[in-house]
Amino acid sequence: MSVVSLSSAVQAAPDRRSALRPRWSPLQMSPTVALALAIVTLVIAWSLAPHLFTSQDPVNGVPAHKLLGPSTAHWFGTDHLGRDVYARVVYGAASSVTSALIAVVIGVAVGGLMGLLAGFLGGWVDTVLARLVDILLAIPRFLLAVIVVTALGFDTVNTAIATGVSAVAVFARVMRAEVIKTRQATFVEASFLQGGSRWYVLWRHVLPNASRSVLTLAVLQFGLSILVIASLAFLGYGDPPPASDWGLLIATGKDYLRWPWLVYAPAFVTIATVLSLNRISRWLRETD
Amino acid sequence: MRNAYLRYAGIRLVQAVVVVLLAYLFTFVVVSILPGDPVTNVLRDPQNGFTEEQIKTIIAAQGLDQPISVQLWTSLSGFLVGDFGVSMRSTRPVTTLIAEVLPSTLILASAGLAVALLLAAAIAYGTQFLPKRLGQGIVRAFPSLFLSVPGFVIGLVLIHAFGFQLGLFRVIEPDSAWATVFAAVALGIPISAQIAEVLIANLDHESGQEYAAVARSRGLGRVRLFAKHLLKPSSLPVVTVIALTVGELLGGSLITETVFGRTGIGSLVQRSAAAQDLPVLQAVVSLAAVVFVLVNLIADLFYPLLDPRLKLVGGTERRPTSANESAAPAPGSVTG
Amino acid sequence: MAARDGLSVTLPPAEASPEPTTRPSGPLLRVDGLSVSYGPNEVVTDVGFALGRGESLALIGESGSGKSTIARSVLRLLPRGGHATGRIEFDGQEVLGLSERRFRPLRGRAIGFVPQDPGNALNPVRTIGAQAEESAALLDGTDQALRTGRILETFAQVGLDDPRRVYDAYPHQLSGGMLQRVLIGLAVLPRPALLVADEPTSALDVTIQKRILDLLSRLRQDLDISLLLITHDLAIAAERADALVVLKDGLVQEAGRTAAVFASPASAYARKLHADVPALNPDRYAGLRAAGFRRLETGAAVPKIEVSAVTKTFTVDGMALTAVDDVSFTVRAGTTHALVGESGSGKTTTIRLLLGLDQPDTGDIRVAGEQVTGRSHEALRTVRRHLQLIYQNPFTSLDPTWKVEGLVREPLDRFRIGTRDERAVRVREALADVGLGEHLLARRPDALSGGQRQRVAIARALVLKPDVIVLDEPTSALDVSVQADIVEVLLTLQADLGLTYLFVSHDLALVRQLAHTVSVMHRGRIVEHGSVSDIFDNPRQAYTASLLAAVPSGIAERARWPHPRFEAVRNEACVA
Repeated sequence: MSVVSLSSAVQAAPDRRSALRPRWSPLQMSPTVALALAIVTLVIAWSLAPHLFTSQDPVNGVPAHKLLGPSTAHWFGTDHLGRDVYARVVYGAASSVTSALIAVVIGVAVGGLMGLLAGFLGGWVDTVLARLVDILLAIPRFLLAVIVVTALGFDTVNTAIATGVSAVAVFARVMRAEVIKTRQATFVEASFLQGGSRWYVLWRHVLPNASRSVLTLAVLQFGLSILVIASLAFLGYGDPPPASDWGLLIATGKDYLRWPWLVYAPAFVTIATVLSLNRISRWLRETD
Repeated sequence: MRNAYLRYAGIRLVQAVVVVLLAYLFTFVVVSILPGDPVTNVLRDPQNGFTEEQIKTIIAAQGLDQPISVQLWTSLSGFLVGDFGVSMRSTRPVTTLIAEVLPSTLILASAGLAVALLLAAAIAYGTQFLPKRLGQGIVRAFPSLFLSVPGFVIGLVLIHAFGFQLGLFRVIEPDSAWATVFAAVALGIPISAQIAEVLIANLDHESGQEYAAVARSRGLGRVRLFAKHLLKPSSLPVVTVIALTVGELLGGSLITETVFGRTGIGSLVQRSAAAQDLPVLQAVVSLAAVVFVLVNLIADLFYPLLDPRLKLVGGTERRPTSANESAAPAPGSVTG
Repeated sequence: MAARDGLSVTLPPAEASPEPTTRPSGPLLRVDGLSVSYGPNEVVTDVGFALGRGESLALIGESGSGKSTIARSVLRLLPRGGHATGRIEFDGQEVLGLSERRFRPLRGRAIGFVPQDPGNALNPVRTIGAQAEESAALLDGTDQALRTGRILETFAQVGLDDPRRVYDAYPHQLSGGMLQRVLIGLAVLPRPALLVADEPTSALDVTIQKRILDLLSRLRQDLDISLLLITHDLAIAAERADALVVLKDGLVQEAGRTAAVFASPASAYARKLHADVPALNPDRYAGLRAAGFRRLETGAAVPKIEVSAVTKTFTVDGMALTAVDDVSFTVRAGTTHALVGESGSGKTTTIRLLLGLDQPDTGDIRVAGEQVTGRSHEALRTVRRHLQLIYQNPFTSLDPTWKVEGLVREPLDRFRIGTRDERAVRVREALADVGLGEHLLARRPDALSGGQRQRVAIARALVLKPDVIVLDEPTSALDVSVQADIVEVLLTLQADLGLTYLFVSHDLALVRQLAHTVSVMHRGRIVEHGSVSDIFDNPRQAYTASLLAAVPSGIAERARWPHPRFEAVRNEACVA
């Protein structure tokens, strides 16, 4: 026996370089991500064209049919005025989705700009903006939203604005951290050496690289905003009934706990939507 | 090292005071400048039945006829000595109003935090020690699920299941022991998710580190590896996360108190917001900021003492130096 | 520092080695038909080898060859998701199928592990002593005080000057070389029969690298330990191992006694690997380099880069640190000048000053006669058009959100050169120059290999048709065979276009292959400079000599450390 034995034949090794994967392909998507995307697509479709998904009237009920349990005729049952809860959920999607969108846009635009300037300019701009972010972080988010909506007046758009304001600090922090990280990257210095100006480098190199994390956060915050806006609606800061924001539906349902579908149906839709958004956000982070 | 720490502590303290003062200023600006006018909205609301004479008295007492800068000065100097003025709605001192309801909220918040910590620890433990399928597949999904449920829904589900179906507590006795326990659970669940997420991420990160493999190569078993090596570096950053959840606890109390019908800061805020009672809102927000800043200050001051890696230089945490080779070795390090 | 060298420490006799007389026959470690997969990807395929008692065996391969995976399989420390099949016999016992509970007693006691990156191999929030006690706990029947005594003894044994201070220190307070000594100490403390060392020196400077390898050789002899050495460096393997196994993509390419494999490699891959190791082929690029030497001899080469008396001081934590101290050198047109030094020698700072990224405190830098120092951003632009930099790490120097075409075209866009179509043509020319096809134009850096990325970086530097290219360790992040390809591209370009290179490196063997003139830097100063042959054949400074001595040169080292039982084992092998 020789000390060293040769057991595998010397053969041409397969070229593993060819196995380098593209960034992502639909085939690699896990089933949970596909489900999450499907749910979010459905909710967006509800908010764009609710009448395609239900023929029932969300506002005027049939008093004779009040408080019916879920059935094939009424998937989510009916409420105390005999309205179809499924129809109310579908018609409520538009308001819930739009207000969450407003909140995220405010957070991304204001917070993103603050973080971008703070991270890229540094110096006193950074110091001033950092203190501002500290202040926003020091006030509990939900309380901040309550204060802002109190000052603006109670309605759904204002709850969206308040939610957006309360998210500014988070976006500013993430954007600032990403910009600082990217600014120190070798390829940014390389671009300076290739004759790129400050603003060119910011626009073409720093922003595209930093925006990936902000996109991930924006999706996450979209879900979170739905929750915050629902909570504000639940506490009565949004539009009054017959509006059918998901939070408002649950709030109304809580007075009829003997007919639990009034709470569980809209709650289930809310949870499924937010859970899907969280999954998509995680997926975006993983495929980075 | 000692001087560096004192310097760091001093700078953090000054920063904390500045943030609290600025937060006060910010709230003042938001409630004074923004469009709503509490005088017309509340005082002249016929429901309240104030006469024109009474309204004048209230306006004078609140200083609402003064210029904004004078109002700010009065308000700020009151805040510095702990005087938050008088409630517009009930004409009682704000400090009294808050003092009445604060204990109930503190009990709820601390019970909620306890639930959150227990639950987070249980989830994190589960991901590491339960059988793979159970640990990976189910327990790992908990934080994400908890974060997707509106806080008030958890409360409603608990009331429906344990209050209505099982009859463990009665909704009309919100301060009973069982009601408090379930309120704390409703408050703690979303917060546990945040802590658990960080804890799990850290445990995964640390157990994937080279030093964990090397420690196992010294014959350490899973339990000793977890207890002696992974637990400390994984839970250190959680100190910071817990400090940050103080805000969530306060915000969550607002909702939980409403769902369970408890009196507390939350219900006070609810009533004051509905009545646009600005002095009360201003006071609650300022107090929340003080508590938040204080807790985070304590966490910041303790952290460098717990983590030997953090070297304090010039009042700030020492960031890892860049790959630039010109960086000098850290003071006090041994070169070989 | 030299006095602390592990070799000067006297070692106690290996009294703890168990029953040396009744040695069971057969190899200590036998691996048979080992395959390892992560999910559907098989990273190790049907690998087999055997390691005799007291022997050393090296697993050699480039990244992705599966060499570390094999080491982890032997220790049964595969990362999550890894699954190993086949047989691993340790001391006659099959261990791959053992339950974790029954295998665990072998770890540390029988099989020790020395990891790759000492900086990450110890828990950062616990003291060295607390972690050393875990190793000491594996010694049977000793009390606490005795165990601590043994730890301190072992620290002294591995050449740590002040064992008590090391015991109380946290990992971040020690240098990389010291941490590796600690780790080796912890591994040998329980007196294992087998030591698995996974690239034990690849994260260390070259002079420290040699000391650590010497220490391992020494301990192996004195403590009677077998060594499974994982390395990417054929020269190190040849120097330190009795037998070699060459791996590529998880398959064994060649295996045998070191002398035989090294002298006449049978497989194509081993031959290529041998040819690509700079230390073993100092004259590989003689033809491509000839033009530069001719220019130097005839005096035709005018100075292209002139650095005179440059000093730069940084203030770090309130202490002044002179990173570059009175440095002067000249690079002549069409030649390669190498700036050589270990980490912290000031070479990176020097090139940052040259590129105008930092300003020197005193001194003068000229490129093609134009002053670099004290210029405005605008004025620097015109200099930089003719002065390009290629970074060390192609994984960080290319913007991951851009495509290859945009990356290479960026300098043309910034300097507004030519029309759109002309730029597109020049991009394709530059890519062709570095041997990349047009099918890569639409790819992002993610979809390129390390070698392809560095070629893109070179194409980006070439596209402006510069005279001078600064190369900051351009191959240190790449495998040795990829390094050979890149060096070939660079030298061909120089021969064709007459480019001037300033080549920064810590790798003396590589410098010897490609440079014309050399400056050796140490602690911010240039300690020696001259032509390649002067420096390498007749170093005048002790520091240069120590750097040269540290370069692994293959078989030579074996003569210095003859293995006591080498003959005996060989006989045993022949009989069996």
